[in-house]
Amino acid sequence: MIELIVSLIAITLQTSTPLLLASIGECIVERGGILNLGIEGAMLIGAFTGFIGAYFTKNLLIGLLSSIIGGIIIVLIFGFLVIKMNLDQVISALAINLLSYGICIYFFRMIFSQGSFPYLSELFSPIPIPFLSEIPIIGAILFNQTIFVYIALIIIPILHYLMFKTRYGLSLRAIGENPSIAYRLGINVSEIRYIALIIEGALVGMAGGAICLSMFNVFDTRITAAKGFIAVSIVILGRWNPIGVLGGALLFGFAEALSLWVGTLIIGPISASISQLLSILPYLVTIIALLIGGRKAKGPASLGASFSRE
Amino acid sequence: MSSQIPSFFSNDIVLHVEGIRKVYPNGVIANDNVTLSVFKGEIHAILGENGAGKTTLVNIIAGCIKPDAGEIYVNGKKVNIDNPRTATKLGIGVVHQHFILIPALTVIENIALSLDSGFKLDLNKVREKILQISSLLNLKIDLNARIEELPVGLRQRVEILRVLCQNANILILDEPTSVLTPIEVEEFFRILRNLKEKGCSIILITHKVKEALSISDRITIMRKGKVIKTLTPKETNEEELTLLIIGEKQNSEFISLTEGNNKNKEILLLVNNLNVKGDRGELSVKNVSFSLYSGEILGIAGVAGNGQKELIEALTGLRKPESGTIIIRGENVINKKPKSLIKKGMAYIPEDRIGRGVILTMSIAENAILKIFEENPFSNKTIMNRNSITDYTQKLMKKFGIIAPNPNIEVRALSGGNIQRLIIARELSYNAKILIAENPTAGLDVRATDFTHRMLLDLRSKGMGILLVSADLDELLKLSDRILVMYNGKIMKEFNRNEYDIYKIARLMLGIEV
Amino acid sequence: MSSLKLLGLYRALFAIILTFLITSIFFIMSNTNPILAYYYIFVGAFGNINLIIETFVRATPILIISLGLAISFRCKVWNIGAEGQLYMGAMLGTITAIVLGESYFTFPIAFIMSLIGGALWASIPAFMKSKLGINEVITTFLMNFISINFIQWLLAFPFKSPETLFPESDRIPNSSILPILIPYTRMHLGIIIAFLLILPLIHFIITKTTFGFKLKAIGENPEAARYAGIDVEKILFLALVISGALAGMAGFIEVAGIQFRMRPTISPGYGYTGIVIALLGQNNPIGIALASIFIAAIINGSSTMSRMLNQPQGIVDFIQGLLIIFVLASDYILKYMSRRGLIKL
Repeated sequence: MIELIVSLIAITLQTSTPLLLASIGECIVERGGILNLGIEGAMLIGAFTGFIGAYFTKNLLIGLLSSIIGGIIIVLIFGFLVIKMNLDQVISALAINLLSYGICIYFFRMIFSQGSFPYLSELFSPIPIPFLSEIPIIGAILFNQTIFVYIALIIIPILHYLMFKTRYGLSLRAIGENPSIAYRLGINVSEIRYIALIIEGALVGMAGGAICLSMFNVFDTRITAAKGFIAVSIVILGRWNPIGVLGGALLFGFAEALSLWVGTLIIGPISASISQLLSILPYLVTIIALLIGGRKAKGPASLGASFSRE
Repeated sequence: MSSQIPSFFSNDIVLHVEGIRKVYPNGVIANDNVTLSVFKGEIHAILGENGAGKTTLVNIIAGCIKPDAGEIYVNGKKVNIDNPRTATKLGIGVVHQHFILIPALTVIENIALSLDSGFKLDLNKVREKILQISSLLNLKIDLNARIEELPVGLRQRVEILRVLCQNANILILDEPTSVLTPIEVEEFFRILRNLKEKGCSIILITHKVKEALSISDRITIMRKGKVIKTLTPKETNEEELTLLIIGEKQNSEFISLTEGNNKNKEILLLVNNLNVKGDRGELSVKNVSFSLYSGEILGIAGVAGNGQKELIEALTGLRKPESGTIIIRGENVINKKPKSLIKKGMAYIPEDRIGRGVILTMSIAENAILKIFEENPFSNKTIMNRNSITDYTQKLMKKFGIIAPNPNIEVRALSGGNIQRLIIARELSYNAKILIAENPTAGLDVRATDFTHRMLLDLRSKGMGILLVSADLDELLKLSDRILVMYNGKIMKEFNRNEYDIYKIARLMLGIEV
Repeated sequence: MSSLKLLGLYRALFAIILTFLITSIFFIMSNTNPILAYYYIFVGAFGNINLIIETFVRATPILIISLGLAISFRCKVWNIGAEGQLYMGAMLGTITAIVLGESYFTFPIAFIMSLIGGALWASIPAFMKSKLGINEVITTFLMNFISINFIQWLLAFPFKSPETLFPESDRIPNSSILPILIPYTRMHLGIIIAFLLILPLIHFIITKTTFGFKLKAIGENPEAARYAGIDVEKILFLALVISGALAGMAGFIEVAGIQFRMRPTISPGYGYTGIVIALLGQNNPIGIALASIFIAAIINGSSTMSRMLNQPQGIVDFIQGLLIIFVLASDYILKYMSRRGLIKL
């Protein structure tokens, strides 16, 4: 029994990781007043470029790097639409999601001919941390994980520091509350926002990479399955705070892990039916969580509003 | 010409502007050959009406607006101030009429935002600096309070502290007293004198003659973008300054309040023990009771942010009250939606004309019928009748002097004054008995203000009950039959017209019991 | 035609031209003559009467969906859950038809149930939006996954037809199948319903009714609309529910006109294509009608083109992605070009 629970927690950490990476990135950008619902697409692109990079170089680290670059590029396109062109953030995000989907589906089949099923021969394997991983029970949970889990856990305190203990973070929060006042104070609104978007792009791209390079070894356009949108929900429920976001990501990762875990427990003819039904669990949990916790959520005052210097 | 200027400078001149000219794209000449100097350690008032070009001049010196022509000298050196940062580096600090503070951040964070330092945010260093300056000037303030928790007077103090922390020695204050009560003004003047003693030069932009006379060392008068004259308070007086400000006197512009028709008064609106919560869940309107009669203007005085906004929103159905009653002609309308209140005859001229008053991207016609489009003949509840809407709007535009080529022009093409006329026209379109006017002249020029005042008085004489909520005490004293003073969500006292006492009202606005 | 409407047309045409230019680059990169590619797309969509009908068959569900989306987009409610609403409507309609069996009432009742299915599904995010202020983009999208996974389960288990090997429902009764208007084609009555009934109806609602006026007022300035006495929450709720109902209808028309069984594949992303069309048509019903025929032609034509020139299938999605970006960016690009003296506006 303990073994089963340990495995459930270990799966939770794994399923939480893409959510955590994406939502912490989204948290930063939203603190600067930009609502980026396009991270679904950016995550997909990250998975795609990560897969391509790893497939052709046979090197997972290059795959990781290319997923980061892919994520940054797509998020910067979004940034160009909403910052430079000052377009509506929600529609721009919808456009980015559709474009990302189009890019992946078209170029995947342009690179790999119709009917072929390319796969990666290896995935990122868990890296046990010497000594710590040998601690009974929690060692296996916390200290025998893939590189993505470690990155996600390290990034939380770093970004918390960035947001609350640096001039950059203060400027970013000021912009999120009121960009025109921040501009009049001499803060370079566009520059600060672009930096936040680059950080987000890297994290969201990496989230896509985490799915493709450590969980599955194939690419499919359904691979992100609304994880970007769940990440945005996590930011709301985590009240735009890195610590809250960590909690939210673990909760939703748990829901996803549970749906996978229960499926493996049940044996017999009913198992296929149950596990198919359980696949709606993460989405259902998100909707219910938003119903309960999304009500009084108040984000940065200018979140989603357009800002132009004129 | 410019070669002569350096010799003109004495060491005492810290700021000199020469031949500043600014023409806006709409053709308005805001500054026309403006030349003036500011000495070290003086308080220099720039006096003029709204629209005289004072704020444009400030914005040019602050680097917010580029002048079309002219030169600026700081400490004898010609400078090119192309953005606000340059102005700050030159020691010019500006306190704008609308504060540039982020409400959700603390005092210390707001000040830290505009100070240059490294990557790391060293709030302790910032705190030290603030404390050093504030103790020198005897300015007390809670550094960890969020701006949104502070009253306007203290917010202004934060602004001043901020520019001083940026090592400003030339302070420009744009209409600083317009947000202050008379008692806060005295405290504010004490700070200015203190600053002056420490060697700061202060430019005080104002339209109040008395103020300029009482505090400044020299006064420059501006009219229609031009500098008219610079003099010292000793060599002039109130009448002369007033004349210089307005130019040729126009007697017909004055209006006086006639005695209202006090007979046959009817209670239109009766508010009893009203409690309303604000955005952050705090009680903003506390046990407010009053009645509004037909044919009167009832003024509500108060510093902005003392519950007036929430009171108005509760009365117009935009915000749900916690408890109490609002009775319109015998019926309790508490918790009713805006639509049924409109039907009960409640009209409302909002302060935020652009955000709440009109829909900029819709036509004049669509805005004109915004409250009555479900009435005959504009629609049969379901289907709109475009022709009758256009006809109606054309008549309305003629009646209220709204100038536009045709009713299908988008409202964003109209001037501020025309937008205000459109709103008033619409609010009078459904035979309302009660009118709530919220700072109805804020941001309007002299002519549009005068139009609005006349309109309110006209409606009063026609028997309408008007609730005039204004931050402008002069406006309230001029127009209201009675004044209620609101402070911290409560009605402090009621004054009848024969009891008006500006100091008493001001003390109450600050919450000082009399 | 007012200059504003013309501007919308220019914007859409400009976006189409830019998209074709970009895709040409990729055709050239994969050694394909772009002119030949566009020729095959055109021929595949309009080459003969049967192909033209097929284009209209394709345009029908996406037209109905995007007309519904136009209503919600007009008041800035971004319903991206049409896909899930379509499945819910189609499923409920199908179940109703199967339960009722052969009768005169089967089609009308099943048709109405499909509207109710889509509307009910949309009412959940609509409630969360209007009463709790929760972003509808997130909720509508997440609910697509619940809807589609749930329906896959329904079709794989409780409602699986014993007659076939696939996860699909029983065949709906003949009396609920939309009649074919031209023999030996798939020209079914649903096409007429979409183009000659729903299209004028939505156009009327948007331009002539007080409801359409309220939608516009809320979309342009919700604060002013609320202050003017419009019940903003109610209209937002209704707009989302109506768009859900139309998506549900589109789903059932697809079942009753083309598929005859409920399948987990009845929509290859029509709910998302509807977003592209609503934006390309600038929320204007006439523009949307043109845009849905255009997109349907691209979908059908590019499958011919892919076959003939051995191009990857996904080109349609790529084109749609580019189109939507360029529609949004067209104003900026046009202004930029005129500033540089490249064009005259």
